[in-house]
Amino acid sequence: MMRRSFQVAARLGHRCILPRLDPAAAFGSSTDSLVSRFCPVKTDLKDYALPNASWCPDMLSLYQEFLEKTKSDGWVKLPSFQSNRDHIQGLKLPSGLVAASDKSDWRIFTRCIQVEGQGYEYVIFFHPFKKKSVCLFQPGPYLEGPPGFAHGGSLAAMMDETFSKTAYLAGEGLFTLNLNIRFKNLIPVGSLAVLNVQVEKIEDQKLYMSCIAQSRDQETVYAKSSGVFLQWQLEEESSPWSL
Amino acid sequence: MRFCRDSVPEPAVRAVVTLVWPGRCAQLLSVWLRRRSRRCGPLTRSFSSEKVIQKDCALPNPSWSKDLRLLFDRFMKKCEDGSWKRLPSYKQFFSKNFQGFQTLYLDPSLVKGEERAQLFTRSFEDGLGFEYVMFYNDAEKRVLCFLQVGPHLQGAPGFVHGGAIATMMDSTTGTCACRAGGIAMTANLNINFKRPIPLCSVVVIDSQLDKVEGRKLFVSCNVRSVDEKTLHSEASALFIKLDPDKSLRKKS
Repeated sequence: MMRRSFQVAARLGHRCILPRLDPAAAFGSSTDSLVSRFCPVKTDLKDYALPNASWCPDMLSLYQEFLEKTKSDGWVKLPSFQSNRDHIQGLKLPSGLVAASDKSDWRIFTRCIQVEGQGYEYVIFFHPFKKKSVCLFQPGPYLEGPPGFAHGGSLAAMMDETFSKTAYLAGEGLFTLNLNIRFKNLIPVGSLAVLNVQVEKIEDQKLYMSCIAQSRDQETVYAKSSGVFLQWQLEEESSPWSL
Repeated sequence: MRFCRDSVPEPAVRAVVTLVWPGRCAQLLSVWLRRRSRRCGPLTRSFSSEKVIQKDCALPNPSWSKDLRLLFDRFMKKCEDGSWKRLPSYKQFFSKNFQGFQTLYLDPSLVKGEERAQLFTRSFEDGLGFEYVMFYNDAEKRVLCFLQVGPHLQGAPGFVHGGAIATMMDSTTGTCACRAGGIAMTANLNINFKRPIPLCSVVVIDSQLDKVEGRKLFVSCNVRSVDEKTLHSEASALFIKLDPDKSLRKKS
């Protein structure tokens, strides 16, 4: 099955192009409707963005603080499923983008290591009205770069992932166009990094966002970054124009 | 960010260790490094009575596709005249015997986790994450990474996560910087994504040292399909050579 996937991917890879922009396409889905579809009330899917025994005390207490804010301050805790496919049930990528491998073995990169505490431990809170997100991120020992510290790529991925969910819910942003990261300090493995993401503007079918990753007390800045995402409307799976 | 587990030029490491860890320990490490550099294969622990072999992950395994194997074979041939060299790659950094090295840089409370730690890009079962091998050319100051992206690197369904590509671009440009200038850390990484990469495909990350200004190393790279017809992404990166007088601990 794996070899077949590689063969299919090899044939399709060089032909993979983004569909042509449709100027008439309206990004009409409101943030509220996107959020309610993204956060199903009832689901059998496992939500990985919930506390477990590996979470450090800082992460647990900040999580509780934000959980309180979901009750009165307009914040929403985002679920985190094993595959991005699970986040867009009933929707599909635009015609012209073909999946290469069997869906059952896909796993979203930031949930690639599922043993508690070994890889990415994170939860994202989103504020629909303010168009901002906060990600609580605790890197485990399997994300190591320099001994005892998180690999810069793991932070880059966490920033890209937080940008990605923010962009999608704030304005149907789908693909990363640009990621620019300035690293300042290393994150010790097992400690908490707080990522604050803000949508700066939406213009010409692009979402522009900024992010600062720092310690909980804000004394240490780990990195600052900016991200640009391309808006693209997902299609309903029952669309008559689907391939 | 690249701490160059695999690719640190021996004189650079020896210089850093001698400055921060003088005396007999530095001499022992120096001997170990010289022995290691003569080998292109599994890393063994020299100071223990038992032999512990770490697997070199930058060698073909059953999950490697035909594309990746062909690239590997082509460049192993190029290694014969010495212009290109293959970089071995291991899951873990120094073995348990080098705890002294760790305590120089780490807060002691963090050291306890080191025995469980793994290099992020090697923290996957065969074929599920990053399958890659790097070749370097010191004369051209160039590092090529042949990368096969597995199904656990998903972003948009069916395609590779931008963060996964960012990780490998960081690793490849970092290797290029470290080969040229010794231990260095990422200061800036700026990536433009052009075309999404399908899961389970093979791409080539081509990185080049552009210039050196004091402790700053400027590296650029691009990610292309195997047939070179598709440009998936390109990046520019800035690395800073480590200052041996300063630890890696938090700076205010």
